[in-house]
Amino acid sequence: MGLVLISHSGSVVDGLRDMVNQVAGDDVAVGIAGGTEDGRLGTSAPRIEAALRSVLDDAADGVVVLFDLGSAALSLELALESLEPSDRDRVVVSEAPLVEGAILAAVQASIGATVADVAAAAAGAATMPKLPRD
Amino acid sequence: MPELTLVVADPAGLHARPAARFVQAASKFESRIVIRNGDREADAKSLIALLGLVIRPSSEITLSAVGPDADLALSTLSAELSPYVSQVG
Repeated sequence: MGLVLISHSGSVVDGLRDMVNQVAGDDVAVGIAGGTEDGRLGTSAPRIEAALRSVLDDAADGVVVLFDLGSAALSLELALESLEPSDRDRVVVSEAPLVEGAILAAVQASIGATVADVAAAAAGAATMPKLPRD
Repeated sequence: MPELTLVVADPAGLHARPAARFVQAASKFESRIVIRNGDREADAKSLIALLGLVIRPSSEITLSAVGPDADLALSTLSAELSPYVSQVG
């Protein structure tokens, strides 16, 4: 079970991977794709494809992908199209908020959950209370 | 049903890292484990539920477990939380 994290900024996903590893532990494979090939803010289908392939190699049961916004979705679509159908079938794309979703997904993955469970945990990030109620 | 009351001593409350460790530890048990904070409760095996409680420092929390390994679950989980809590009873 692995995660691929996509952002317009390489710094965002570098830092997020650190957070994920520290909160969930190192057992969950985490691939990242941030920024364009020439180091600008943006997304790159080839970089996303490379991240997907590396995690798919490590994670036999599947991969949950989280991304930040906008064109990341289009670059991700292109990257997915270039995968073999058998690999593509092992990828679940999550609409969860990137940071919170990644942490929740990684902890769920660390306790041996299925890809569907991990995707469901990530989805919960959108409605999770963050401020104390009192 | 074994039950244990703890007070969160860490000034940051029950924050993400200890909460994640706790969920990982809780998930190893067969019992249903619930963490209660005031009138709200969360499944101890769900990080979303646990973080969603947004447990403040000095809050009292109650752990309870139902199932074949309930006693072991509570002793293991209270040990897991021990750097962050003080035990009331």
